[in-house]
Amino acid sequence: MTLALPSPREEDWRWADLAFAHALADTSPPANDPLPDVAGHWLDLDGERRLFVAGRPVEADIAAPEADPAAPAHPLADHAAAVARAGTTLRVDGEGGLLQLLHVGTGGAAHGVTRVVLAPGAHLTLIETFADADGDHWLNHRFDADLGEGAVLNRIVRVRHDHGLVTDRAFARIAATARYHQLLVGMGQGVLRAETHAWLSGAGAHADVHGILLGNHSSAQDILTRAVHRSPNATSDQKWRLVAAEQAKLSIAGGVMVAQDAQKTNAEQSLKALVFHRTASANLKPELEIFADDVKCAHGCTVGALDKAALFYLESRGVPPAEAKVLLTRAFVADALGAVDHEKLASLLDAETQAWLATAAEKRA
Amino acid sequence: MLRIENLRARVEAREILKGLSLSINAGEVHAIMGPNGSGKSTLSYVVSGREGYEVTEGSVTFEGEDLLPLEAHERAARGIFLGFQYPVEIPGVSNLLFLRTALNAQRRARGEAEVSGAEFMKLVRAESALLDLDMEMLKRPVNVGFSGGEKKRNEAFQLGILQPKLAILDETDSGLDIDALRVVADGINRFRSPERAVLLITHYQRLLDYVRPDYVHVLSGGRIIKTGGPDLALQLEREGYGAIAA
Repeated sequence: MTLALPSPREEDWRWADLAFAHALADTSPPANDPLPDVAGHWLDLDGERRLFVAGRPVEADIAAPEADPAAPAHPLADHAAAVARAGTTLRVDGEGGLLQLLHVGTGGAAHGVTRVVLAPGAHLTLIETFADADGDHWLNHRFDADLGEGAVLNRIVRVRHDHGLVTDRAFARIAATARYHQLLVGMGQGVLRAETHAWLSGAGAHADVHGILLGNHSSAQDILTRAVHRSPNATSDQKWRLVAAEQAKLSIAGGVMVAQDAQKTNAEQSLKALVFHRTASANLKPELEIFADDVKCAHGCTVGALDKAALFYLESRGVPPAEAKVLLTRAFVADALGAVDHEKLASLLDAETQAWLATAAEKRA
Repeated sequence: MLRIENLRARVEAREILKGLSLSINAGEVHAIMGPNGSGKSTLSYVVSGREGYEVTEGSVTFEGEDLLPLEAHERAARGIFLGFQYPVEIPGVSNLLFLRTALNAQRRARGEAEVSGAEFMKLVRAESALLDLDMEMLKRPVNVGFSGGEKKRNEAFQLGILQPKLAILDETDSGLDIDALRVVADGINRFRSPERAVLLITHYQRLLDYVRPDYVHVLSGGRIIKTGGPDLALQLEREGYGAIAA
């Protein structure tokens, strides 16, 4: 299949850096021999684990799932569906527990698809981690989820690659009273483009599309979200916290789309960025398209530095500056972490963000 | 304990302190009174090490050590505490986490062992009971959603936990009703000891009814223009700053 990559002249792609996709689209990844050491990328949690290296399953033979035909067209996601050789299909009825998928890029272009279908009332927690061995690569992933009435899906996306490009397009169809909770934590030094399209398709449906982007070195992370309210009485919440240091470029275009008959929609969005160095940058772009008249859509957007009065207050009590900055930055990102209702998972994610912040603070000191 | 000599300091281009001298010995309580804009808060920030306050002349020593090269957190570890006129709200940082971090950072800097979680909670329970502070409130983010009185009681609570040598209390009485004033004043009086000193910065004589100072200084135009005993505060209350400064 020929791939036509989008251009930065298209508004939705203005901050996306697809140079590695251009360079590597026609390059096959190397053989998985030997396998890279990926042990450090798993979260220490009970539950099944599946590893994909360069788009190929390890210790299992899993065919690529059928993509959701209802998903809107998307150049990268459609390409993944067409060419992926492997992936994960999860059809869950009842309690699905917790599952971790680890996608590792090693070189060339690798594609993968994850498809989740939750029966009414089903429950699943899915952790998808994107990582790499050293060397440039393009890891292109598609995620399609279909939540039946009253189903609950928690999707945690951890982005930890230090080279090359990861692209992820998530699409979730959320039926009445179903809840989709997504949290993306980006802390790699590579390039990321992640999109989430959450379609709220019934009364009482809810979507959280939250994220934390931590960027240092030349990390480039670009996010696009669309909370699409297609029917009345649904709710959505988007909290994004960006911390940009050194030469990092972090961007989010956060969308709330409310269809004409989606009355009584309640949508919230809060985009905030901290920029630590002049060489770092953060772009925040709230996008609201509201065609119904009886809706509540709250949104807020701020870019700044740490509050000097708060820093002095902490320091005047004896907290050294580096530690004070970590405390304040941790508090800054905590809003977005607060939505994870799995206690151990929340504390592991908190610990990884805190470790990242402490390392970044040491470098600043 | 604290010795300030001929201190001149400015904020940006504006000189605020213009040759201020003050000596405070262990065991003493000093009150500095003065009109708005006389330099009271600037003095507290210069001694505690806030950025943006430039000392152009004079010296500040604490127990014989030059304070001016030290950063704010290092001064705190030496035993200097600043009670804020407007305690800062810090969303997302729990009061207790903040205070334990501060206490242990100070102890590390002094080469002392850190306090364990259990020891810390013992201190917290004892001190919060004395100040009539609710434990649930202490677990909340620092000063967020606290009333004016609760914020000042929280400052007194931190004073009690951190046990500094010198407490500089900037307008601790502002925003307090009579009951809260008494609770905070009791906290300050408990803190008094022959080894410790207090510098009260205040507009009004009212606080001095509850915390009786050894010395009262009048600050005007960036200098101390008069020093006396507790009676001086009463005189100020009667006659106003204008009469004294004249």
